[in-house]
Amino acid sequence: MQPNNDLSLHRIMNTESLDSGLTWEVKANSSFYHKHKQKKSFLCFHWGRYADNVVRSYKYSPLTFLPLTLFEQFQRAANLYFLLIMVMQCVPIISAVPWYVTVIPLLSVLIIRGLKDLANDLARRRSDREINTRPCDVLVSQSFQTIQWKDVRVGDVLRINKDQVIPADLLLLSSSEPYSLCYVETADIDGETNLKYRQALSATHTELTSQPSEEVLSAFDGVVFCEEPNNRLYTFRGQLQWRGEGFSLDNEHILLRGTVLRNTDWAYGLTVYTGSDTKILRNCGKVRVKTTRMEKVFNRLVVGIVLCVLSAALLLAIASSVFSTWVMSHTQFQSVLVVDDNPIYTGFLVYWSYIILLSPAMPIALYITFDMIHTIHSLFIDCDMEMYWQQTDRPAQARNTSLNEDLGQVGYLLSDKTGTLTQNHLLFRQCCIAGEIFGDASVRAEDVELMDLGWNPYSCGNLFMSAPMLVQRLREDQCPISRQFFTALALCHTVMAQWTEDIPVYQAASPDEEALVCAARELGLVFLSRTRDFIVVSELGIKRQYELLAVLDFTSKRRRMSVLVREPEGGVKLFCKGADIVILERLEEDCPHLDKTERALELFAEACLRTLCVAVRSVPEALWGQWRKTLTKAATMATCDRDALLETLYDQMETDLLILGVTAIEDRLQEGVPETIALLQEAGLKVWVLTGDKKETAINIGYSCKLLDPEARLLEWQELREILQSSDPQISFLKGRQTDVWAVGKESAGVKTSLVLTGPELAEFDQRPEWEPTFMKLADQCQSVICSRVTPAQKAQIVRLVRKHTSSVTMCIGDGANDVNMIKTAHVGVGLAGVEGGQAVQNADFALSQFRFLQQLLLVHGRWSYRRISLFLRYFLFKTCGFALVHIWFGCFNGFSAQSLYERWFIAFYTVFYTATPILCVAIFEQDVNAESSLKQPELYKCGQTQELSSPLMLLSSLLYAVYSSLILFFIPCGVFYNTAFDQQTMAVTVSMAATFIATIEVILLTRYWTKINVAAVCTSVVLFFICSRITQSAFLFQRSPIDYSFMGVSEKAFREPVVWLTAFLTAWTAFLPSLTAHALRVVLSAPNKHKVHSVSSHSVELQSKFRRRTSSHRSSHQQRM
Amino acid sequence: MMASSYNAKEEDGHHSGSASHGGAAVVKSKKPDNTAFKQQRLPAWQPILTAGTVLPAFFVIGLIFIPIGIGLYVTSNNIKEFEIDYTGVDMNSACYSCAKNFSWNSTTSCLCTVDFTLEQPFESNVFMYYGLSNFYQNHRRYVKSRDDSQLNGDMSALTNPSKECEPYRMSEGLPIAPCGAIANSLFNDTLKLYYLEANGTRNEIPLVKKGIAWWTDKHVKFRNPGGNANLTAVFQATSKPVNWRNPVYELDQDPENNGFINEDFIVWMRTAALPTFRKLYRIIQKKSSTMPTLPSGKYVLDITYNYPVLSFDGRKRMILSTISWMGGKNPFLGIAYITVGSICFFLGVVLLIIHHKYDTRSTGADIPN
Repeated sequence: MQPNNDLSLHRIMNTESLDSGLTWEVKANSSFYHKHKQKKSFLCFHWGRYADNVVRSYKYSPLTFLPLTLFEQFQRAANLYFLLIMVMQCVPIISAVPWYVTVIPLLSVLIIRGLKDLANDLARRRSDREINTRPCDVLVSQSFQTIQWKDVRVGDVLRINKDQVIPADLLLLSSSEPYSLCYVETADIDGETNLKYRQALSATHTELTSQPSEEVLSAFDGVVFCEEPNNRLYTFRGQLQWRGEGFSLDNEHILLRGTVLRNTDWAYGLTVYTGSDTKILRNCGKVRVKTTRMEKVFNRLVVGIVLCVLSAALLLAIASSVFSTWVMSHTQFQSVLVVDDNPIYTGFLVYWSYIILLSPAMPIALYITFDMIHTIHSLFIDCDMEMYWQQTDRPAQARNTSLNEDLGQVGYLLSDKTGTLTQNHLLFRQCCIAGEIFGDASVRAEDVELMDLGWNPYSCGNLFMSAPMLVQRLREDQCPISRQFFTALALCHTVMAQWTEDIPVYQAASPDEEALVCAARELGLVFLSRTRDFIVVSELGIKRQYELLAVLDFTSKRRRMSVLVREPEGGVKLFCKGADIVILERLEEDCPHLDKTERALELFAEACLRTLCVAVRSVPEALWGQWRKTLTKAATMATCDRDALLETLYDQMETDLLILGVTAIEDRLQEGVPETIALLQEAGLKVWVLTGDKKETAINIGYSCKLLDPEARLLEWQELREILQSSDPQISFLKGRQTDVWAVGKESAGVKTSLVLTGPELAEFDQRPEWEPTFMKLADQCQSVICSRVTPAQKAQIVRLVRKHTSSVTMCIGDGANDVNMIKTAHVGVGLAGVEGGQAVQNADFALSQFRFLQQLLLVHGRWSYRRISLFLRYFLFKTCGFALVHIWFGCFNGFSAQSLYERWFIAFYTVFYTATPILCVAIFEQDVNAESSLKQPELYKCGQTQELSSPLMLLSSLLYAVYSSLILFFIPCGVFYNTAFDQQTMAVTVSMAATFIATIEVILLTRYWTKINVAAVCTSVVLFFICSRITQSAFLFQRSPIDYSFMGVSEKAFREPVVWLTAFLTAWTAFLPSLTAHALRVVLSAPNKHKVHSVSSHSVELQSKFRRRTSSHRSSHQQRM
Repeated sequence: MMASSYNAKEEDGHHSGSASHGGAAVVKSKKPDNTAFKQQRLPAWQPILTAGTVLPAFFVIGLIFIPIGIGLYVTSNNIKEFEIDYTGVDMNSACYSCAKNFSWNSTTSCLCTVDFTLEQPFESNVFMYYGLSNFYQNHRRYVKSRDDSQLNGDMSALTNPSKECEPYRMSEGLPIAPCGAIANSLFNDTLKLYYLEANGTRNEIPLVKKGIAWWTDKHVKFRNPGGNANLTAVFQATSKPVNWRNPVYELDQDPENNGFINEDFIVWMRTAALPTFRKLYRIIQKKSSTMPTLPSGKYVLDITYNYPVLSFDGRKRMILSTISWMGGKNPFLGIAYITVGSICFFLGVVLLIIHHKYDTRSTGADIPN
């Protein structure tokens, strides 16, 4: 080939690839070229193209920490508000209190927050450094040298050894395995622990594996054109230009950063994306911030408080103007009281002064304390032994630390079925081949008489099915269709085989596949290994090699997968397995055994088994040839066009199928599921199950996990539709119910209704949005709702429906990638760390290991959190407002001049030192009822659902209480000190003392769980008040700065005055009286209710046992009926 | 069903993949520590509020507050107090002409005399107060119009007073000492008390002017610049407050009561809490154990009327009072205690009735169960 020619070809290729969006160019072994173009930045200017391979997850540098952290913190409205107040305080003419009064709380908030950010950032830096300095082998002038990850550049050729983490996105060139296959573990990317295989292009494989590899590799001068860096983990499109030829590249050829090389001694790769361009780092997207309902209410309340403060200040300012006018007209010598002899101007200044003076009413320390409490509550969840799952060594995990109180208010629990309610530990229990059913699912798996499979060297003995007849037929080769059935199971999958001690261990993406392949193995059709082009199967001892022509992938939309293979004999066959409805509609006409198969499907579904249809098609050679051509064409097309084309292509291939049989897999319920559901329902939660399974399976699971009452009436779509269409849905619903009652008899007077829907039926809501509110109203009255056959998108849609039409908190729980959408949509998402990949957990707010841990999470942690945080918020509101609003009343007695009633230091310390710790202890330790009783009395949970403790009314009452206490705080001392020789500073000390007392008494009343820490906190807070008062009013400090410590000697004298003490006590008690009365009233009124709770709890235990007996009898009757 | 059987494969979306992937995992159980704190099982005392514990609280508090209130009320009533308004609003009052004609600008004092009768003798030490009404000594602009450094004897503050003192900071180019509005409006009436004996002779009652200020104020907060000697020299470069007749170093003859440490001045500088207030003026000490300090009878109060209050509808009063452990007469506190105590008691009774009703009803309802 002429070099000139080569160049022009290159150019042509280059422009071509530009057209199709392949604009990312990587030249192998030309480090200089890429280094030149490396991304650099100075200040805010960036240039260059390729990122370096350094992870920078930290946010701050020593230089930028202060400005950045301040900038971030002042984005919070509350902090900004206080900064403005502080700035205003620096204006002498309006500063009612000196600037440092606000600085102390503000600074402490900023410092705590800043330190927290700094600690996180340092931890990130440490982990970054750890990652960046990991070693890896790079090819430099014909030999491999060990360098650090951060020095890897685009275009480098790397050698990855066994069990090494891959440092950048690589194009696989060759590996130690045959066909340059290599296996990777993607646990860090998607949490899936099964191995996946990648394979090099056959061109690079053949050319680059010759020895010595270093030489060959350093001579490699291919150029890769591919997409710009993106976050799509499962797609890759590119082209390798090498030796004048173009090879198309896809995801199969790419090793992603963060994956681990397994079962492969070494692999060579060409670095394509580095650092921030890699797919995994592109995926570190922002997490959607969820805020709790209570926080929203509270934010609104804070805005309300600010508005109130502003209007109060306005009124006081007007009054001040009026007063100034009066002063102007009456006195000469006190004209100092009016600024510039201008009453209007005075009023204007007084307005700002009052905003400053009343600003403590706005609880600044609240947000930081709120964060702190949330973090501690999350820590409690992480540390709970009751939610620790020994088998997988996994404690519960609060991934989102700001949703704790929502856990105590959940109204709707929407649960996935598979893997969530069930174990997702799948057992092959039955099958139907050519209309004949083998195995018996009514026998429990442990009781199954294991078949003698000694003739099969690959058997591991975990087949819980007894069908000697089937084995006999297989071994004697009497029935080709059953043999074909199991061959299909051994061929049609994406499982990887790993050999340990001569027995293949399967690595499967889904437990279903694993169960099926294992079942085939037990029965003698053993999947041995796969390469890119071949699958090797041992058929009853005879090894046969099938050429793998194509894999028609599974998607949730297609709900089936197929493989196209060439048999050793030469024929082309398509094996297909998938959901019954999709398979049945693709069968050839007059398919035999169809009726019997359908009957078997029903039977399996009623026995709560998961079914898959298996079918086969013999593909004529001509059709295959034609189909293949279109497929290769499709491979080079742009993503979206290609997907559409592939779909139709696949559709064409998967027709005229011949049904072989049906597999039935048992998925057993998780431990404690029925009890948990019963308990949660007792706690007032509505439990909905959303599943992709068949309706019958879903209903049966519903019965077995006690979601459905045996006597419950199942309201299905037809009926529901009529109700929804009728003029008054409510009446027809009740009517329908009543006739049902008559029909069943009076025994089931308390009959309950459950809704059963399917995905396609739900889709009708898209056309009839006006049904939604009515539907939700009906669903609200039903005991439970089961939605089957729903897609992941529909799951999320249902959650959205619930969120839209109820004010309740929704919680979604799921374990698989198909639940991610709904987990993200719900108020609170819970991920079960189960058999399927970790995607659900990655996207969830809370991660659990078992469904039954929900009891502990909701009824104990959730309820406590809700209670603690409501108490905390209301108390905080009370103490800050009560203390600050005093100035309004005092204003009426000092000419509306914004004179502070308190010593400036008291204002500064009050929220931080004198009243913070006791309520913090309440917010951390408070338990009204211990964990065991919480679980025994699920009724207690209802208090959160109805927002009993945090309703706007309750918050408002706290606010009113604060106003009342501020009135008392001012007017009782005012009455005492009126027309006496006591000076203003003595009164200030008296009122501060009373304010501290009120705050303390109130928190003492709130605390129901007195640990030593609580006692210590209460005592120190009060003692601190006296100590700090004496310190700030000491002669020592006064002499340092007379203006700042002008209260010198006041407390010393005041604490010796009996009148001061008597006044403070009287004030505190009078202010506290309504709170005590309210408590007493509640105690007096709730006494009989408490009795009720106790009697019910003893009752419910009895009920449960009855319940259990009845359902088991139901189940058998159910089976008899079929 | 298929959706869940293969789901892990289809998923194109958003993994929150972390950058810290692939770290060498230390094999260590993740089992949480079984500590009381982490398991939220800290030993604690859990008081349960029942009707049996809450209701008695009301009665107990009531029973404590009412006697305290009665005690305070009786104590307050035992205190003898005599108050006389000498503002001179009324045509018939002695100081009418003084009040009418006087203003800050007058140079001569106006004298007036008020007669009054004490019905009962005052036994122990008697405190003499002056009281002002409608005088906003707690107005912010007034309260902050002072310089504590200057009053504490700071030389630099003496010559260069704080800005807070404006507009009473400088006068005719000289710094004012003491500066500020509070000092400027110093109460400057002089009161003299005479006992009018039966024969008509006036016996002047000795009024003690020491010990009326707080000890800390007199000895720590207020200090003359450069000690108490040579005040004239120290204050030479300063000007007297605009409304004052005499400069600060001529407030008293006694060097221990002159300048900034003059007790009348200190008392005035301790601003009142509310617009109606009284301030201690003098103390009449008990002389012998047999004679009452102020026997019942006729008295004459000689007033040097300097302080104008009429312009702002103010009132001036002279108060004579004995004191007890709780200070001066203060009926409010006693009454408040009695009231709050009674309310507690009343609430207790109401709650008890409610409790009784509810209890019988609920037990009645429980029986069929």
